[in-house]
Formats: sequence, structure tokens, C-alpha cells
Amino acid sequence: MNPLWIGIALGCYAVASGCFFFGRGPGRRRIANWGTALLAVGAGFNALYLIARGLQAGNLPVASFGQSLTLLALLVALMGVGLMIRLRVSVIGVFVAPTATVASATACILGTPGRLVLPESLRSGWLPVHVTLAFLGYAMFLLAAGVSLIYLTYDSRLKSKAPLPGPGERVPSLETLDRINYRLLGWGFVMLSLAIVSGAIWADATWGHFWSWEPQESWSLVTWILYAGLLESRLTVGWRGRRAAALTIAVFSVLAGSFLGLSLMHPGHHGGNFD
Amino acid sequence: MDHRLVILGVNHRTAPVKVRERLAYAEEEIVPALSRLKLAVPAISEAALLSTCNRVEIVGVTSDCEAAGEAALRFLGEDRRVGADTFAAAVYRFDGSDAVRHLFRVGASLDSMVVGEPQIFGQLKLAYAQAVEAGTAGLILHRAFHRAFSVAKRVRKATLIGHGAVSVGSVAVALAARIFDTLKDKTIMLMGAGQVAELVARQLKRRGVEALLVTSRTFDRAEAIARELGGIAVPFDSYRPYLKIADVVIGSLSVERPILAAEEFEPIIRERHYRPMFLIDLGVPRNFDERLNLVENVYLYDIDDLGQVAHQSRSSREREAGKAETIVQQELEAFDRWLGELGLVPAIKEIRLSIEQLRDYELRRHRTWLAGLAPGEQVRVELLTRGLVNKLLHRVLEGLRRNGEEGGNGLYTAELARRLLCGDPGLEGEIDEDEDGPDDSM
Repeated sequence: MNPLWIGIALGCYAVASGCFFFGRGPGRRRIANWGTALLAVGAGFNALYLIARGLQAGNLPVASFGQSLTLLALLVALMGVGLMIRLRVSVIGVFVAPTATVASATACILGTPGRLVLPESLRSGWLPVHVTLAFLGYAMFLLAAGVSLIYLTYDSRLKSKAPLPGPGERVPSLETLDRINYRLLGWGFVMLSLAIVSGAIWADATWGHFWSWEPQESWSLVTWILYAGLLESRLTVGWRGRRAAALTIAVFSVLAGSFLGLSLMHPGHHGGNFD
Repeated sequence: MDHRLVILGVNHRTAPVKVRERLAYAEEEIVPALSRLKLAVPAISEAALLSTCNRVEIVGVTSDCEAAGEAALRFLGEDRRVGADTFAAAVYRFDGSDAVRHLFRVGASLDSMVVGEPQIFGQLKLAYAQAVEAGTAGLILHRAFHRAFSVAKRVRKATLIGHGAVSVGSVAVALAARIFDTLKDKTIMLMGAGQVAELVARQLKRRGVEALLVTSRTFDRAEAIARELGGIAVPFDSYRPYLKIADVVIGSLSVERPILAAEEFEPIIRERHYRPMFLIDLGVPRNFDERLNLVENVYLYDIDDLGQVAHQSRSSREREAGKAETIVQQELEAFDRWLGELGLVPAIKEIRLSIEQLRDYELRRHRTWLAGLAPGEQVRVELLTRGLVNKLLHRVLEGLRRNGEEGGNGLYTAELARRLLCGDPGLEGEIDEDEDGPDDSM
């Protein structure tokens, strides 16, 4: 039953992606609204899947890369729906839905080979805290990068004097996008920091040392420093707008690259190798 | 002489702002320019000059459109010190009825960049007033402009052309909404005192902008506008420090070259902590360097850009424009009729005078006999002769008019009628000499 649920979620995400893609033009808001609804339904099935797996595992089911991707898909979809409803702009769906689709599709393809249950040593209260914080951070950074991409698109449209959208279309202003980007970065940074701290405490409790310079840890530190610099540049020098958006995307590509690369190539504690 | 209207000029469709700004006249330059035009182009007997953001046009009256057009084109190039090769390709010329139609269409805002925008009406009125001031408006221009005003009013009343039309102001507001999420905490800086610029500032203010800075070459003018719109006047020689707090800058100064350069904006943007700036350049010539658009987080729109982004509902606009064109056509026919009859006026006057004189003469000739009649009979004779004269005149005028409508040569026929009915000028002297003759015989 479980794989079926993630399959349904995947289907919803995929159809939602199509809705957002084709629902961009004037007078097509209903199509985009269907996309939002489908995204929410997909998130529901995604959550069901995770709950069922969690009950099976007795903890947050993030023992494998595939499973952790389903958590990421859920968080991105939920936050994307939240943003879209809050701002009443559907354009965010153009990257949220495909991201959720790709993440859950990858999870389905990889399946859940081998271990479903974490080793005894890692089954602690810290696991959901650490993993949820880290993935919340990642989801926020991902959304920030997506919002930045929209920012850059609108920026170049305004600069090149593209025709204004029709009266029926709702388009967020550059200032709004910039502010959302900043907030997502700020909260994402808080999450990432807490994830690193909670990870260190958990590691100390399990293995007796806070930090082991494992690749994932090192790269987390690198991205943490990069995001800190990004926020710093905004708070002190005041970099915002186009520059901030471009940097957000650049830093996120480092984060995404390291996450994917390490998860697939260097299975340390984080890649499902707990021995 | 057969006088016709001729219009020569460039507009937003034929020439980009880059060209228009070099030909444009500032408001105070127009009257002297008209005086120069009168001297330089004798082929044009009446003239007006319309210079707006979207067009520069010479409206003239001439008997030779070809020669007048060429002379006016040369005048424009020399007067503005622009080589003819840079703008001659963009120049259009309308002769006769086409010129009248063009004038009517311009006045009714059918030829505007944003069809239906109301500013052109005021601008056309100003052009007319300036021609009157310069003494270059004559009989035909008076009539043509007054008819253009009435066409504009009819179009506005009878069609929806002005409704839902996107004014420059609302385009500016829509663009501001794409850049800023709220206008409440924003500051506008209005530079110069153009009508359109004031309108844009007013619209933005209505959308919640609280802080408005106004600067103008004359401080009094800036203060007057600031008072009217509810802003603060800033002296023109010290406006620069305020740029860094301005989120929207509207430029409509009359300048020869841009006053804000891209280089000086880099530090301003840095000081603003890269908060976006929206520059609206309504000046022709343009106030802001076009490279400002390349500066990070600066969005520069000139008058052509604003027209380009305007999203208009085309189908409804075209339907209304069709109605408007019908009105223009009706008025055009009426004007052409008037102009055709205008040539007949001297001949008709002369015929009327001549026949009246004949009647007068005959009545005087028989005055002794008339004196013997009863008062009632005297009145009857008076009525009889007048009726005869009026009926005869009416037939002549009708004949001339019909001849004109049927495409006959009005002036030639009028001359023929004049000769038939007035005789030789010398003949009247003969009649005068004869005057005593009949009296003697009585």
C-alpha cells in the first residue's frame, strides 16, 4: 500500500506541474488554481506515505536517500502551497511542482532497498529533530532559489520593456519577491544552523564527539558560511534585488550539488551508511 | 486662390523619441518659431505648430502643397539644426482633405500612442492659442481648429474611446506595482512641470504615495505644484542629494541633453542599499540618459516605452474607433463644403450687391410714381421687388452650390455668374448717368 501512496503523490505532482506550466497566460488562472489544489492533494498522499513508513520504522523514515527525498518533496510542496495561498500568486508553482515531482519520482525509482529500520544506536529523539531541521532548511533554500529565478525573469522583462500582464493576471512585485527571498534565506539559515547544532549534539551523544569532518558535515559548514555571507551582504552592504537573486541561485547550486553528490557518492552517516 | 490645408510632421509611429526630441519645441519657443516660419516660408499663409511628446507637426494653409511642404521641411531642419537626412524619412505630409482628416483625428485622440488619452485635446488648444498669439492663424485655420475641437467633443460624447483607455498615468502606476509592493512608504520626485508628468504624479499619489518632492527651474513654479499636489518644493540647484531617497523620479524638464547620467547613478544606488528605482522620462527631449536602464535595480521608461507596454483591449477599442472615424468623416465633408464655398464668397457677395443695387436703382427711378401710391401699395411694391431679388439670388446660389457638389469648377462658375449678373464694372456708371433720363420723361 505504501508505494502506491507515493505513486499517487507523484502523479498529483506531475499533473500539477503541467497545470502550472500551461496556466501562466492571461485568463488561465483556473488551470493554475487546479495546480495548487493538486499540489496540496499530492502533499497529502506524500504525508500519508511518510506516516505509514514512519510507523513501520518506529521513527522518521529517512534511512535511505530515496526516503529522505520524499520528505524533501513533502516540505517543498507544503511550503509552496503555503506561499501561493498567502501571496495569491501561482507562478511559484512553476518550480515547486516540478521539484516535488522530480524528488518523488527519484524516490520511487530508487525504491527503498535494504534497511527499513535504523540501527538501534541511531534511534533517538534527535533523529526527527535533526533531519526535519535540515530538510526544512533545504526546502527553504530551494524555494528561495526558485523565487530568485522568478525575480530575475521579471527583472529582465521590466528592463526590456515587455508588455504588461493583463488586468486579470496577478504578478508579484519585484519588491515582494525580494522580501520573500530574504525571509526564506533568513529562516533557512536558522534551520541549517539548528540542524548543524542538533547534529553535533546527537553525534556527541552517539559517538562521543561533536564533529568528525565527515564530507556531509564539511559541506554543510561550507554552505552555512556561504549563506551567512549572503545574509551579511544584504544586512550591511545592502545588496538586494538582482544581485541578491543571482547570488541566492549560485549558493543554492553549491548546496544542491553537494547534497546530491555526497548522497550518491559518499555514503557516510548521512548517506545511509551507519556502520 | 484655392487655399488648402497642409500638414507636415513626425509622430510616434514614424519616428522614435530619439528623433522626435531633436525636433520638439518647448512651449515658449513656439510663438517665435511661428514668426520665423512666416518669414521663411511665404508659400504658407497661415500656420500653427503642434509639438507634444508624441508629435511635431506644422499645420499650414497654402495654395501649393508641394512647394509649401518642401519649404516647411527645410525650415524645420534649419530651425532645429537637424540634418534633413536624419528625419526626412520619418516625415509625413497630408494635403487638403487628408490634412483636415489628420487634424481631426489627432484632436479626437485617434492618432495618439494611447488611443483615447485626453491630453492631446489640451495640447491642440494650446497650439491654436499660440498660432493666434503669433498672428499666423487666419480664416481657414480658425475654422479648422474649431471644427477639430468640436470633432473631439463629439467623439468623446458619442463613443467609449476614452473609457478604459490606458493613460500614461495608469501605465506608470501598473509598472510601479510590478516593481514595488506598496507605494505607501515611497517617495516620488517630480522634476519639471509638464501636464502629463503632473498627471502621473497625481495618479501615483492617489495610490497612496505620501512623500512628494517637486523641483522645477523656477522655485515659484515648483512651490505652486507642490502646494497643489501636496508635496515639498526643492530648489533646482540642490535636488541631487534628494535623488537617493526618491523611489520614483518623473522627469519632464525641457532640456537639451539628459541631466541625469548613468555614471552618477551607481553611487546613488549603492547609497540606497540597492533598493529599486523607477525612472519615468516624459521629457521630449529626454531628461534621463537611456543607459540608466542598465544600472542594477533601476528601471527607466521613456514615453515610447510606456506606450509600448500599454495593454489595451484591442477589439473594443477598434469598434469604438470605427464609430469615431465616422464622425471624423462627417465633419470632414462639412469642412470641405465650407472650404469650397469659401472661394465663392467674394463672387456671391458681389452678385448680391449688384442685384440689390439694380433694385435700388429701379425703385429710385420710379420714386415720383411711387410717391403717388397709397402707403399700403408702396409696401406691396417694396415687397414684390425684394421677393423677386431674393428668389433670383437664391437660384443663383443654389446653382453654384449644386455645381460645387457635382464636382464642377466652383470658382469658374462663380466668375461666370458674376459676369452675367453684374455686368462690366463700367456699365454701372452708365446706369448712374441714365438716372435722370426717365425722371425727365415722366
